[in-house]
Amino acid sequence: MRRYLSVAVGPLLFVAAAAVVALLPRFMGEFRLLEFTLVAIYVIALLGLNILTGYSGQISLGHGAFVGVGAYVAALLSLGRPGLELYMLDPPSWIPIGNGMTPVFTIPIAALVTGVIGFLIGIPALRLGGVSLALATLALAVSFPILMKRFSEVTGGGGGLNLNLPETPFGWDISTRHWLYYEAWVTAGILFLAAWLLVRGRIGRAWRAIRDGEVAATSSGVNPALYKTFAFGVSSAYAGAAGALFAIETAYVNPDTFPVSLSILLLASAVIGGLGSLAGALFGALLYEFLPIYSQEPPIFSFHFADQAPSVVFGVFLIVIMLLLPGGVAGLLRTLAGAVRTGRFRRRSETSELA
Amino acid sequence: MKRVLLVTLVLGAALTVALPGAFARTEATQATPGITSKSIKIGGTFPYSGPVSSYSPIPEGMKTYFRFVNARKGPDGKRGIYGRKIDFKTYDDAYNPGQTVQLTNKLVLEDKVFAVVGSLGTEQNLAIRPLLNQRKVPQVLVSTGASYWGTQYKQFPWTSGWQTDYIAEGRMYARWILANAARQKIAIFYQNDDYGKDYLNGIKQGLGSKTNLIVSELSYEVTDTSYASQIARQRATSADTWILVTTAGTPTVRALATAKRLGWKPDQIIINSVAATDGVMAAAVASVGQDYVNGAVSTGYLKNNTNPKYKNDPAIRSYRRIMSKYAPPGGVNIRNSFYYYGVAKAYDFVKLMYAAGKNPTRSSLMAATAKMNWVNPYALAGVKIKTSKADRFPIDQGKVVRYNNGSWSEISALYKGR
Amino acid sequence: MAVPARAQRLELNVGPVLRSLVLGVGFVVGAVALLVLLGLVLTQTETAFSWSGYAQQIVSGLSQGAIFASLALALVLIYRTTDVLNFAQGEMATFTTFIAWSLMHHVSYWPAFALTLVIAFIGGAAIERIIIRPVEHRPEIVIVIVTIGLLIALNGLSGWIWNPEVKAFDSPFPNGTTEIAGVVISYQDLGVLGVCLATVLLLWAFFRFTTLGLVMRAVANSQDASRLLGVRVGWMLALGWGLAAVLGAVAGMMAAPSQFLDPNLMLVILIYSFAAAVLGGIDSPIGAVAGGLILGVLINILGTYVDFIGGELRLPAALVVLLIVLLIRPQGLFGHKVVRRV
Repeated sequence: MRRYLSVAVGPLLFVAAAAVVALLPRFMGEFRLLEFTLVAIYVIALLGLNILTGYSGQISLGHGAFVGVGAYVAALLSLGRPGLELYMLDPPSWIPIGNGMTPVFTIPIAALVTGVIGFLIGIPALRLGGVSLALATLALAVSFPILMKRFSEVTGGGGGLNLNLPETPFGWDISTRHWLYYEAWVTAGILFLAAWLLVRGRIGRAWRAIRDGEVAATSSGVNPALYKTFAFGVSSAYAGAAGALFAIETAYVNPDTFPVSLSILLLASAVIGGLGSLAGALFGALLYEFLPIYSQEPPIFSFHFADQAPSVVFGVFLIVIMLLLPGGVAGLLRTLAGAVRTGRFRRRSETSELA
Repeated sequence: MKRVLLVTLVLGAALTVALPGAFARTEATQATPGITSKSIKIGGTFPYSGPVSSYSPIPEGMKTYFRFVNARKGPDGKRGIYGRKIDFKTYDDAYNPGQTVQLTNKLVLEDKVFAVVGSLGTEQNLAIRPLLNQRKVPQVLVSTGASYWGTQYKQFPWTSGWQTDYIAEGRMYARWILANAARQKIAIFYQNDDYGKDYLNGIKQGLGSKTNLIVSELSYEVTDTSYASQIARQRATSADTWILVTTAGTPTVRALATAKRLGWKPDQIIINSVAATDGVMAAAVASVGQDYVNGAVSTGYLKNNTNPKYKNDPAIRSYRRIMSKYAPPGGVNIRNSFYYYGVAKAYDFVKLMYAAGKNPTRSSLMAATAKMNWVNPYALAGVKIKTSKADRFPIDQGKVVRYNNGSWSEISALYKGR
Repeated sequence: MAVPARAQRLELNVGPVLRSLVLGVGFVVGAVALLVLLGLVLTQTETAFSWSGYAQQIVSGLSQGAIFASLALALVLIYRTTDVLNFAQGEMATFTTFIAWSLMHHVSYWPAFALTLVIAFIGGAAIERIIIRPVEHRPEIVIVIVTIGLLIALNGLSGWIWNPEVKAFDSPFPNGTTEIAGVVISYQDLGVLGVCLATVLLLWAFFRFTTLGLVMRAVANSQDASRLLGVRVGWMLALGWGLAAVLGAVAGMMAAPSQFLDPNLMLVILIYSFAAAVLGGIDSPIGAVAGGLILGVLINILGTYVDFIGGELRLPAALVVLLIVLLIRPQGLFGHKVVRRV
């Protein structure tokens, strides 16, 4: 009985989470709805990062750049050439931009395009290991805004592109805010399941083998280069989907929306949420969305804060949580769950969950 | 055991920080959001942190002026505006337009502000313009000099600008050069973004058929840590007039210091948003010396609060009084002209609110922005705050000013940029 | 063996010294030859090419590179002793530079300089003991995130304490310039370059010739073995962080007169320095300096002479060049090959 229960606990939690997500809008005002829409978007981005860093063990300081690519793809596709003409932009004709499409359809295309770009970049990048890979991915994050400004005939340059304001498509009778919320969460749900299937299967085993020791993995017949590059591609595709949703929801893209700090904070959130655990993406996303805003005005401590205090609070919190929860929130929950299951608290090595 | 307990406690604390309000219900909708019989709630986003945090005195200046307005008795005999106190809520967007959108949504949807006032940055305001216009929330007195705010009022009727726009300012420099130094060779050093390019266009428009006076135009990126490469090239063109289209703060000082280190001393033109920053000029002087900067030319539309000429000017005296009495705890450097800019802007917002009537609505506020017509005491004598149905540039006049030993003095008649 | 023991010892001491010397001289000669060659190519392709303009670009690239190199040295030092990429290195440097700025309102330059180094040392060691120690044995990524947290907190803290307004910072070097064959060189730039080279020599000598340096190297090599030999590993790691903080403080005080002091002084420089350190070989101080100088010159030349790249794309272009180098030589120019263990 207990065995069945522990097998079923994952799917059960997923269903419960889905139910909470579906019912949450009933209890929320418009702004909360928007915040939780963003949470879904960050969940997607962090799932991708978790696949790369948590499962295949490759560090990325450039995830934000791929989010940016996805956002620009979605922006260009949904505006189309007629839309871009309003900005007096005339991208070269070989770029297949089309005449504008329903935003929701841009999500899979953005994911695909970003995934392919990620795969191609991954081929050389992943030949570099350790600090060089960190540098290579950081270089992506640094270069992305610069490139977007430089090729302004396509991207609109520093001024960016205003998308059409979001609307509920297909004549459905729900408010736009609710539509965006469900659009984001359904995408997140699908991608969560896809990630779950990936990491449970043969590919996931290969990734974990590489993470835990590349040489050993090679000797047991895994081709690390191939699997690592694939992980990079998948992770980028997730980032692309997140970026597309972000562009649709914000209705604005601009190079400075995807600064280096975005990539770095995404990595921090992934680690805090918990690497090597898909549920970790959810915790990371919640923290990413709420922590910066609430460190600007902590609800409990209402003393006067200096202007620069929020970032101090945020930074200190990052440090403290890492000191206390090296396995992230997911690691803590696992420890707690283990304690409950065995009926007593016992020490466990938290590091075993990590690369 | 101990660790698990500790961790649970910390996590619990974190959740209590993050969650309150997470399930807060929306209040019943008011007739005009943000307006009660006692208060006017407005909001804005500013870069308190991040790359251009040096602009952060602007909202503090505004807040200080609003505190003053809330405490004094107005022309109607009541404190605040018709008895309503101004509550100005600001958030730090770190100059990231993505953040600006989220935080503006928070201001509109959660804080339910009446209007978004003075939000800073061109891209930042472009980012929120569609959503504010869709929701018919006023976006007024934006802190950016892009020309969009004045030209696109038909597409975006809920948005209005304030300061002299960059193109107009660029034209003023061109006009001054043509009148005073018509055979000069001009080098332009600009920040590579819309801000810099607007100035570049303005200067070229102003030069008209004489654009061949420009012998070099080179740009820098915000990610550049040195401008020596570009400035060495500009020096090699033997240009004698150097227009610096830089942002206030480090880039300007660094550019000047680099030129000095390369042994180059052209006539400098420093754009207004930089020249208006006493801290920047002080840092420049400390590094390159008074002599090197003396004689630099700029334009202005506000009085220079550090100019000895204005020592006894009633407006400057009121500025000093307000700042010393109502400034945030910890004190401020009142010589920093960004506080002054904030105060001047807040003055115009208060005027707008009076013009919006005893029972202001969002549309009465916007109607007021289309017929501004008054004198702002903090602006230069002669500068009119004036808009009409067809002219949506509240400030479009300015004077050429010259730097000498710590302050800027007006050296030209009033120019009209538009 | 027929070789007498004495000679063997001598070889052990002199060999590496000689090798480093040859390597250094070879690098300089090679770089100069390469630059001259490039100049000759440019005379053919560029219509308005002038040697003095070209030399000016190189000089300003070197002075810029010296600043990257100074901070890169600090990164390398921490990486060598603790295997950590310290993302907070730049902000630590900025913070200490602000402290120096405050001190200089009370005392003159050199006492303030010295006092700042002492404070930096204590601060750096304290950070290691208090913040890094608890996560020392955790996965690398956890430590990276801790240093990122430190970066964010320190950046906010300097803005909070000293406000974000730009500040002029005194320079220990005279203010003038000298002109050699049409190339303007400022004493400030020369000074920074000199300090950078002196630092790397000192550092190299410290590791090579002092017992403490030797012990630190041993700790870097194997903590367990060192512990068995009775080395107090914990204190050595703290010492490494303290020294790195000192190097950072020097970098900050060298950068601030030309970069100008604001809370973001090192935010971008850190990226360049990181690139420089990796290019040079993340565990090699000499590599860090070489990497910094190469990067500085590369950026200027790409920006000036390649029209497509121009001022706008010079940073991405330089990073691409750098990554190509790393693909060919993964351990960096002066780095040591890492043996992969199962």
